[in-house]
Order: sequence, then C-alpha cells, then structure tokens
Amino acid sequence: MSQQLSSKPFYDEKIEGTIIPLPLIKDCYAVFACRHKFCREVCPVYQDDRDESHTSYGFHTALLGISQGMGELADIRETITNCLECGACELRCPNTLFGGDFYGASTTTVDLVRKVRRDLVASEIGFEKYEEIVATVDRYIAYFEGPEGDLTKWADGLNLATSGETMLFVDYFNAFETTDIPRNAAKILTAAGVDFGILPRPGATLGELLDVNLETFVEMGRHNVAALEQAGAKRVIIINPHDYTYFTRDYTTHIGELPFEVVFITDVLEELTNNGQIVFGEATASEVFSKVSYHDPCTLNKICGITESPRSIIGKLPGVTYIDVTPVEQWSYCCGKGNASFKTLHPDTSYKIGAKRLQAAADLGVSQLVLACPHCKDQLTDVGARSGVAIEPVHILTLVAQAMGLD
Amino acid sequence: MAVEVAEALEAAIGELRTALGTEYVMTDFHQRAIRTTNTSPMGLHQWKDLLPDVVVMPASTAQVAAVVKIANKFLIPITPRGAGAGLADGATPMKRGIIVDIKRMCDILEIDDEDMTVTVQPGINMQELNKVLRPLNVWFPDDPASYPVNVLGGRIGAGGWSLLGTGYGHVPDLVCSMEVVTPTGDIIRVGAGGGRKIRKSSVGYRLKDLFIGHQGTLGICTEVTLDLAPRPQAQLPVFFATRSWEDAHRMTLAFNRSGIRCLSGVVMFDEAKVEFLRRDDEAWIPLPEWVNSAVATICYGTSVELEAVKSSIFDIGAANGGVYMGQEISEGDWASRHDRYHLAYHGRSDGTIRLMSWSCEDAAITWSQLPTVKRRWYEIAEALVAKHPEHFDIWGMFMYTGNPFRPWGDFLTEIDIGVNELEMTPEIWADWVEAKTQIARVSVECGGSVSAAHGGTREGEVDVACYEELKDGQFDLMKRIKKMLDPNNIMNPGKYHLDEAYEDEETA
Repeated sequence: MSQQLSSKPFYDEKIEGTIIPLPLIKDCYAVFACRHKFCREVCPVYQDDRDESHTSYGFHTALLGISQGMGELADIRETITNCLECGACELRCPNTLFGGDFYGASTTTVDLVRKVRRDLVASEIGFEKYEEIVATVDRYIAYFEGPEGDLTKWADGLNLATSGETMLFVDYFNAFETTDIPRNAAKILTAAGVDFGILPRPGATLGELLDVNLETFVEMGRHNVAALEQAGAKRVIIINPHDYTYFTRDYTTHIGELPFEVVFITDVLEELTNNGQIVFGEATASEVFSKVSYHDPCTLNKICGITESPRSIIGKLPGVTYIDVTPVEQWSYCCGKGNASFKTLHPDTSYKIGAKRLQAAADLGVSQLVLACPHCKDQLTDVGARSGVAIEPVHILTLVAQAMGLD
Repeated sequence: MAVEVAEALEAAIGELRTALGTEYVMTDFHQRAIRTTNTSPMGLHQWKDLLPDVVVMPASTAQVAAVVKIANKFLIPITPRGAGAGLADGATPMKRGIIVDIKRMCDILEIDDEDMTVTVQPGINMQELNKVLRPLNVWFPDDPASYPVNVLGGRIGAGGWSLLGTGYGHVPDLVCSMEVVTPTGDIIRVGAGGGRKIRKSSVGYRLKDLFIGHQGTLGICTEVTLDLAPRPQAQLPVFFATRSWEDAHRMTLAFNRSGIRCLSGVVMFDEAKVEFLRRDDEAWIPLPEWVNSAVATICYGTSVELEAVKSSIFDIGAANGGVYMGQEISEGDWASRHDRYHLAYHGRSDGTIRLMSWSCEDAAITWSQLPTVKRRWYEIAEALVAKHPEHFDIWGMFMYTGNPFRPWGDFLTEIDIGVNELEMTPEIWADWVEAKTQIARVSVECGGSVSAAHGGTREGEVDVACYEELKDGQFDLMKRIKKMLDPNNIMNPGKYHLDEAYEDEETA
C-alpha cells in the first residue's frame, strides 16, 4: 500500500540525484519567491549561527537550485541536518499565514526536512551522524522486543489497569528516562477519580524514525493504534507532546483516522480542575514566593497549537506568581533539543539555543521555568547544569502533584 | 573558467580560510545559490550565471579588511551582502567572486540614551535592535516593509526609505557616523565630530553620504552609530476610502498642507491596488463595492498630541470625499504592514492562480506629477500584460510620502507587477526589461527619480538612471570617484555601469 509521507502527496515521490518532481519544484519556488525570509528570523538555529542556508528559505532554495541544475541531493546532506523540526518557520511563512487556507498551500518545512533526510538514506547517501541516529533508534526499538515488564516498570506499585475506555499512553523516553513524569500523571489521574489503563507493551514513538525509517515508525504506529483499540480505548491521554504530534498528525496521515479521541494531558487536567475533580491545597510558606514562567514546547505551541491549558493550570496553582511570554513570542524559542535528532547531530548549537532560552527566563526574574515536555525538561536541566543559569526547570505535572499533596 | 583564474580563486580561498576559519568560507552550491538572489524577480533562467564562487561570513572589521585585501591581491570581485532583502539587485553578484555576508556581525556595541545614539555592527536586524532598546523607551525609527528581516548594513548600502520617514527621517538621515572598509581594505570613519555622535557639522565634505546608497560599490560598513528617537507614546492610523483616485490625490495635498507635525506618513492606494487586495488578500477586510481608492494617514507622538489632532485628521478626510474605514481596518492594516507585502500565490483578475514573484518600481515623484506618471505607467504595464498575459499581472499602485521630516513634495510611487519567474524565457525577459526602461524614463521625464528607496541598479532602469537622470556630470563624477576609491574595480563590479570608468582608461 502506498503511504502518504506528508499532507502533500507529492512528497511521496523520491528525489533522485538531480531530479526534483515538478510539484515539489513549485512548492519550493513558493517559499523561494517570497524572499521575505521571515522564516529565517524566527529560526532558533539561524539566530545562533546566522547562516541562512539553515532555514526554511535555505532548504527550499537548495532544492530549487538542484532542479535548476546547480547541484544534486548529496550536496545538501550536511545542511539538511541543521533543522530543529520545531515548525516556527511554517507558522511565520506568509504562504501559511495569509495563503495557507485560501490556496491550500501552507509551507511544511518539517515534513520536507524529514522527507529529504529519508531520501538521502534511501539513496544510500545518508547524512552527518546518520549512524548515531540509527543507533539511538535501535536502542529504543530493543525495548519493544525486550521483557514485557520493562516497559511498565515506571508504574511499579501504582496498580494500573491494562485496559479501559481511557488509556494513558506512555512513551519510551518517559518510561525509561523521566519516570517521575508518567508516575505523576498516573497519580494525578487516579486522585482525580479517572479510571484509566496503560498498555503493557506500547510501540516505539520516535521522531528519529521519521528522519530515517518511516516504515518502522508506521509499523509501530499501527501496533499502538491496534493495541489501544483492543484495550477498549475511547480516549487516549498523551503525556509526551512529541507523541501528541505523532498521533494527531503523523498517524492520521500514514495510518488513517484514529478509532479514539486523543487528548494532551494538560487539556485533561484543565477539564479536571474546572469541574472540581482536581482541587489544589493551600500554598505552603515555601511556595508562596514562587515566581515562574512557562516554556511552550515547540510541538505543542508551533505544531499543535496547545497553549492555553498549561497557562490555565499554572494560573490556578496556589502560591505561584506567573510571568507570561506569549506563545507567538515563543515561536523563536526552543529548548535546543529539537523535535527528534537535532541534539545528536549538533550538540554545541543545541546547547547554545538551550542556554539562550534559559537566560531569557532568567531575565524575567523567575526562579522556575515550567515545562510540559520531558525532552525540554531533560535538555534544560542539562543546559542549566552546564551554563550555571540559576533557573530550575520543573515539569508542570510535578507542580500539580505537589499542589494536590501527592508527593 | 580560465586556468589562471581558477588557480587564483583556489589560492584566494585558501587565504580566506586562514583569515576567517574554514567554517566561514563556503563553496557548496546551495550556500552560493541562496546568496545570489534578492527580493526582486530575476528569472530563474539567469540564476546559474549569477552564482558567486565563494561565500564568506566575517565576524569583525579586521576580518572584513582581510577579505578585501585578499580580493585585491588576487583581483577577485567582492559583493557585500546584508539580508538579501533589497529590491535593486545590489547584493546580487554580477561578476561572480566573493560574497561577503555580514550577518554574523550583529552585536550592539553601545547604547547611549542621553545623547540618543546606538552603535551597532551592520548585521543586526532593526526589529531585534528595537527589542533591546524598548526598556529604555527609545527606538530606532527605521520602518521599511522589510523591517522584521532587513539588517542595517543593507539598509545603508541601499540608502533605504522608511514608512515613517516623513516623521522620523529615512536611513540617510538616521546615520550619525560609520566605520567603513574601503575597496582597498583601509578602515576609515566617516561622519562629523571627534567622536561618533555629531549629527550636524560644517567641517569638511559630507563624505558620510558617499557611503550611503552606493549599492556596495564603494565599501563595506562595519560599524555604525545611529540616531535614536524617544519611543512614541501613541499612534493614530486613520484609513479613508474614496470614490475615486482623484479624491485620494486631492486629499493628500490637504494633509500635506495641514501643518500637522506629528503626521508621520500618508499613503495612497489606487483603484487597481484596492481591487488587487479584494481579490487576493484574505487578510484584507472586505470593502463596499463603491470603494475605489484609499488614503492612509499615520500619526506618531504623545497621547496629548494625537488626541488634539484627531479631529483635524477626520475633518480633512471628510472634506475631501473620504469615508473613515473604521478602527479595525485602520489599526489592523497598519499593524500588519510588515507581513503582507508579497505572497507567491496570487489570484489573477481572470480568476486563475499562478505563482508569481513581485516587482516593485519605486520612483520619487512630486505630488503634481502623480496623475501623469500613473497614467503613463499603466499604459506601459497594460501593454506588457497584453503581450504576455501568462507571465505578468498588474497589482496596482501605492504612493507614499517620501520627503524626510515633512509630508509634502515627494512621493515614493510604486507600481507592483507580478512576474512569473518559473516560466520565464530570455525573450520575455527582454520585453520585461524594456518595459522597466520605459517606466523609469517616464519618471525622469516627469522630473522625478528612478528610485526613492531601492536604488537604480536593476537591469532596465540602470540605463535611464546613469545616462538620463544623472547625465549632467553626475554619472561622470561617480565614475571618477569609483576609480579613485577602487582602483582594481573589486567592489561589486558591474553595478551602475561603473565598469565604464575602467574601460575609458583601457580605450585611452
């Protein structure tokens, strides 16, 4: 069965050497012809290195240049790695802003970058540090084939069901690297009276697969959809915003309409606080003076448009003074880890982007930066330790659990 | 490429890598291709011929000087490049060579909110600069359509024009002094005073002006001290609809004569522009059918000032056939002025959609000549579209006040034409160039200038600029200055027909 690689069917057609399919030429030209380069200014990578070839304008122009006989696909194997896949350029592109709906031609740089990386792999050219990405993928995929209990070890002692109309989907990164996040999610939902289950053997949800191996990504996706459906899911709660993009955008593109509703955890928590199922206690003395800001994960803010529920929840936390930076202003922010492979590909740039983000929070005079993404948490914790910027990255579920007295 | 040229280039690239580091000397095709273009149409059939040989990204004045000296040593052309947001091909290399991309030089060196200056490197963007200045309640009031993406070096090289120039001055009015690397690699400072911050002095020649608007032919700005302004407390955009362009034209004269000092800009939209926005811009709020043209006024100042002039603005508009478009469209359209000036997807008047790039003529025309220029420009543009309906489309005209600090006299007069670059042929391109020549000639015949904002360097208009507008000795003097400062014709050769300065010598 032919698989649609993005919302633009012509992305299916592989680039071979110097041959660019005509619809893709037009797609690239639409960005090139704009030439305003708003995409450049909003790009966190460009803000660091000031090299416009590492932008949406750069990638589209490079492919257009290939179509005009100036080079071939192999020539861009290094430059195409310089993308966080954060989606800021797509939002800032006039084609999306003012023509996307009208002409049905929004700019889709993230899909394009993934497609080009995959085409490079399929052409046996690969790209810089490709082997490291594959090694990461292999390491995580091994979990799928490992002992069943390993994938749910994070939930030890919580006595969670393995079926139900509401299912909590926990990805491998949360399950193995940031176990406090799924544990807090489970405790909060349980305390709020939500009946839910978890999959005993979820499939891998790795952004890296979209860069190098779409077939395995889709295969794992089909496993997840089938397993959730079999478990009786009518509603699936996601706690990793990267997964939210895979379920709502990539699974629907590559697999089809999902047989259940998919919701992000902060939207669920907002519902539960609004209807009284979650009640926060009084602020303790140490919490009264807590001054925080919120970092919009790229996946939620720029790709899925979920920006209100985290702010709503933070606003209800007792003893917290909240300093907002608007979602639009945060289009040019990123924690630096990127949507998938970027930190592995460019660790120095990743660190500098992260340090800049932390410093922006420090400039607000806050003591904590609230996060809703395990990858942002991991990255900014690491960056904070290395840079010495005295801001504590804290996951929103940690604060909610504390406010509910669930420690 | 001849063997000796190739060897010189290879040797030069080696020295550039030593001077700047390998990472910042780039020869990949895509690095060169992306730095060939600017915002004006080129026709993809020309692209390959305009590729530079190498791109460098210096980080300091010393590195820029080193690059220029290496270029002189090996006689390799240099084209300075800022944001690539220009509309006159200034940053497009005509003789290959080295592109000097200045965007890494983006530091703010000093903010002085007492003497009201800021000193920056040329690669900084105005929007980013103003974010830093905001807490001090000052701003750098250069406000082109490319405000979010342009950089100071490019603005200076093009002698840029600002939407708010009528209130706050244009780029040439906002530069106090500059550090420049000359075409021979010397580092000089131009501007008045023993420091960097004097705006008005009568000592010596006004050499600063020589290094503004030269399109990269006389040097590379590496540091600039700019004039700041107090951040305005308030703004008052008021848009009027009119039943005819003649009403709009008459209304602008009334505003010009009003004596309102906080009037920072007046813009006319003609009937074709209103029609274009109706059919093509989904963000443009629908207007009643009777609306033919429009006038936008913008006042910046203190809240008290704006409150006091508000009634005068509305009275002048109404007395001249204007109907206020309302707060939503006035404030909304003004707020989105930097975002909307071009989209590649365009609906044409026949309902088809075709990918087109945007060409923008930008003559400086006096108010009295606007009706004549408008009529004659449309005759030229309509003939072009009639001959090549698949390749060109008329997108209407804007006329903006252009006189710095005063709303009367000059108008930046713009006719926008869609250009189908993807399907361009050399033959159709030749007809396009001829149309541009005719448009430029009308401007000069009507007493105006070929360009108020972008520069007169593009194919088509450059002949008119050099041989007609600057014919009374100015072009000859430009050539002598160019040759004196750039004896090897290193700096952006091919622009403004300045190569003739060197041909004269060869002939002699």
